[in-house]
Amino acid sequence: MSGLLVACGPQRLPSGLVYCSEGNPESFNPQLVTSGTTIDATSHQIYSRLVDYDALSGQLVPALATSWAESDDGLSYRFTLRENVKFQHSSRFTPSRDFNADDVLFSFNRIIDKHHPYHGVSRTGYPFFQSIGFSEQVKSVEKINDHEVIFRLARKDASFLSNLATDFAVILSSEYADQQLALGHPENLDHFAIGTGPFTLVHYAKNEYIRYRRNPDFWGEPAKVDMLVYDITPKSTVRLAKLIAGDCSVSALPKAGELPVIKQHEQLSIESQPGLNVAFWAFNTQKPPLDDVRVRRALAYAVDKQNILRAVYQNTAIEAIGVLPPASWAYDSNKKLLDYNPQKARDLLKEAGINNLSIDIWAMPVARAYNPNALKTAELIQSDLANIGVKVNIISYDWSVFSQRLSRDEYDSVLIGWNADNSDPDNFFTPLLSCSAMQSNNNRSRWCNKEFDAILDRAREVSTQAERKEIYQEAEAFLAEQVPMLSLAHAKRVALTRSDIHDMQLTPFGGISFAQTSQTIQEKN
Amino acid sequence: MFRYLLRRLNLFLATSLVMIGVLFYATGLFPVERTFALTGIHSPTASQLIQIEQDYKLDSNGFMQFIAYLQQRLSGNLGVSVTSHQSVTEELGTVLPASFELAVMAAVIAIGLGVPLGVLASQSQHKLTQNTIMAITLTGYSVPVFWLGLYLSLWFGVDLGWLPISGQLNLLYEIKPVTGFMLVDILLSDSEYRISAFKDALLHIVLPATTLAVLPFTVVVRSTRSAMMNVMNQTFIRAAEARGMHTNTIILRHALPNALIPVLKHLGLMLGSFASYAIVVEMIFSWPGVGSWLVSGIYQRDYTVIQGGILAVALLIIFLSILIEVLHTVFNPLSRKDLYASN
Repeated sequence: MSGLLVACGPQRLPSGLVYCSEGNPESFNPQLVTSGTTIDATSHQIYSRLVDYDALSGQLVPALATSWAESDDGLSYRFTLRENVKFQHSSRFTPSRDFNADDVLFSFNRIIDKHHPYHGVSRTGYPFFQSIGFSEQVKSVEKINDHEVIFRLARKDASFLSNLATDFAVILSSEYADQQLALGHPENLDHFAIGTGPFTLVHYAKNEYIRYRRNPDFWGEPAKVDMLVYDITPKSTVRLAKLIAGDCSVSALPKAGELPVIKQHEQLSIESQPGLNVAFWAFNTQKPPLDDVRVRRALAYAVDKQNILRAVYQNTAIEAIGVLPPASWAYDSNKKLLDYNPQKARDLLKEAGINNLSIDIWAMPVARAYNPNALKTAELIQSDLANIGVKVNIISYDWSVFSQRLSRDEYDSVLIGWNADNSDPDNFFTPLLSCSAMQSNNNRSRWCNKEFDAILDRAREVSTQAERKEIYQEAEAFLAEQVPMLSLAHAKRVALTRSDIHDMQLTPFGGISFAQTSQTIQEKN
Repeated sequence: MFRYLLRRLNLFLATSLVMIGVLFYATGLFPVERTFALTGIHSPTASQLIQIEQDYKLDSNGFMQFIAYLQQRLSGNLGVSVTSHQSVTEELGTVLPASFELAVMAAVIAIGLGVPLGVLASQSQHKLTQNTIMAITLTGYSVPVFWLGLYLSLWFGVDLGWLPISGQLNLLYEIKPVTGFMLVDILLSDSEYRISAFKDALLHIVLPATTLAVLPFTVVVRSTRSAMMNVMNQTFIRAAEARGMHTNTIILRHALPNALIPVLKHLGLMLGSFASYAIVVEMIFSWPGVGSWLVSGIYQRDYTVIQGGILAVALLIIFLSILIEVLHTVFNPLSRKDLYASN
C-alpha cells in the first residue's frame, strides 16, 4: 500500500484552517446561551454586532453601526447603520435585500418583547440579557429610517454600549426569520444560522465537525482562509495529538500540564494572553447550611488557593483576591480580603454550631479557559475541607446534562467561572451576582441582595472611570463580607497553533475569531 | 435443508424478540418520563403528546404497549436524539457505514495475513518458527486493546508522525456523503482533490484497522494452525500424498478448504467480543462509527441514542452469528449429517 501512496506524488490539501474545539455548541445563536463553546463557534465567525471592541486597544469601534451618538440625558442612543451590508445565503435562504434597520429591530425586539413571535422560540431564554436586566433597561428600539435606529433607555447606564459590543448582541436577519416563521420552522433561525460575519455556516455534524466557508460578501476585510473547520474533540490529550499529527492547525484550551510537551515540538507554538476571567466556587446561598454567612466564610478560609494554582494551573494563572482580574481597570491589587486560615475556618464553624458538615461540589466536566480542570480543583478543595472536618462529595455529569441540572437549583456548591464579554467591570458583577441574574439562572450563588444591586446601579450611573472604580471596590468589599462565592484564580487565555498559522488573535475577553488568521501555503508530503 | 433454514430464521426472530423485550423493559427503568425516554422529545406540545400516546398506546396494558413499541421500532421510528434533535435512524445511517468500513478493513487484514501465517505455522518443521509464531499470536491475544491502541498512536502518530491518529479524513477535504462509506464516497465525488483525499482516508484507516485486526488475527492464526494440523493427519491427505500430488496442491485444494470450516466457527463464536473491541477502538481513534456514537450517547444521557445503538448492535450480532452458523452448515457436510439424523 505504501508503494501506491508514493507513486501518487505529494499530497495536496485544500486551503483552509482546522480548529480543534472542545465541544458541541448548544445552538448557533449566541443570544440564547452563555457558554463559551457556543460563542467561539458562532459569534465572531457567523455574525457581526452593531459595535465591536478593538482587541488591542479595548476601545469601541464601528461595526454594523458606523457612528452613534448619546443624548445629553444619557437616555437614548442613536445609531447610523452601515449600508450595502449583505446577509449570507444558504440552501434555505437567499436574501432579497441588504441589511437595514428592520434587522436591528428584530434582533433586539425578539429579546425584550415578550409577545414577539420569536420570543418563545428559545427554550433557554436569553440568559445574558436577562442577567443584565436588558429588557427593563431598554424601553424601546425605534426605526427612524432604513439606516438609523434609536435605543431608548429607562435609566442612564454607562455600560450600555459595552453590552451591545458583547458576543451575545448579534444581528440576525429579519427577512430570514419571517420566511422560516411562514414555513412553520422558526427554530431553524437559531440552528441553520444566517448572519453578516466573515464566515458562512455550511454544515454541522454533531460530535464531529462544523464547517464554514469564507463569506465573499463580508462588509469588512474578507477572511484570509477559504474554509474553516471546527474539529470537535472533547479530550484535551486528543486535541494535542491531532495538533502534533497535523490534523488540526489550532487547538483550544490545553491543560497546563501539556505545555512542556509543546516545547519539544518545534512546529508548534503557544499563544497566550492575560485573560479577563475568573474561576470561582459558588455557594448555593438558598440551601441550608450555606445560607449562613459564617459557614460560607469558614469554607472560604479553608481553601488553599496557592495549592490550586500550582496543581491545576501549573502556575500559569494569578491568584484571585476578588472577582475582578488584574487586567480590568477597576482592579486594585492592595486589597487582600480573604486569606487561607484553617484555624479561623474551624472557629467559624464552631460558632455557627455546625458539626459533621457534608456538602456536594459540582465540578464542570469540560475544560474552560478560566479553569482547565475543575475536577482536580474539586479534589484539592475536598482535601482542604477534610482538614476542617467537612466532608465533600464531588459530582459531575457530561456538559449538557450538567448545565440542565444546574439550572434546577438542586446543588450545594459549584465550581465554575466567567469569561468577560467586554472590558467593562460591570460585566463581572451584574451577569453573575445581581438579582436579575438569579432569574436567568446565571447567578450560580442564587444570591439576591438589594443592597448589592444598589451599589451596582450607582456604579452604572456615574461616568468617570475613577468614580466607578471606587464603587466597584466597594462592591468587592461587600462580596468579601457576604461570600456568595469564592474567587479562585484568573487564568491566561491559551491556544496552541502550528507555526504556519499567523495572526491568530487572542483577546482578553469574548470569543475566538478567525477572521484575520492566515496560513502559509505549503505542500504536505 | 429448507426446514433447517426455516428453523434458523425462527431462532433469529425469537432471539431478536426477546432482546427487544428486554430493551422495552429497560426503557421503563430510565429515570425520566416515559414519553421522553421513548421519543427523545423533552417538553412535547399538547398535540405531540397526544400523538406519542397514540403511537405507543400508553393508555393500554403492558402487552399492547410492547406491541406498539415493536411496531414503532421495526418501522424505523427510533425517536429523536435528545442532544441533537435529529432522528436517531438518520444518525444511525451515518455512523453504521463508518463502522462497517473499519470492520471490513480489519477483516481483510486479519484473514489476509492470518490464514497464510496459520498454514505456515502448521507446516513448518522448525520448532523455532512454530514457537515464534505461537508466541507472537499469544502476545497479540493477551494485549489489552486500549493499551495497544494508545501505544500505536503514540509511536506512529505522535513520536514518528507517520500516520494520523484520529478521525476518518482530514476535515479540509469536503466529501459529499452518498453511500456513507468514506472510501467509496471519495471515489464517487468530483472534487479536484479526490486522489489526495483517498490517500488521506487510507492513511487514517491504517492504525484503527490494524488495532482492531489484532484480536481476530490471532484467533485466525491459532485456529487455522490447529485445524490444518488436524486435517493433515486425515487419511484422505495421506492418500493424496500417496498419489504423488504436490504438497502445495494438497494444502490449497484439499487441506485448507476443510481447515477453514472450524476457523469460521471460531470467528462466529467471538463476534460479541469483536464488537466490544470495536467500540473501544472507535473511542481511542475518534472513529465516527456506531461505537463512539453510542458511548457519547451514554455520557450525554441520550436515552434514545442508547436504545437505538443497542438495538442496532445487538440485532447485527444476532444476525451475523446465525448467518455464520448457516454458512458453516452449508460448507460442512459433517454437520449436515446431524441435521438429517434429527429430521
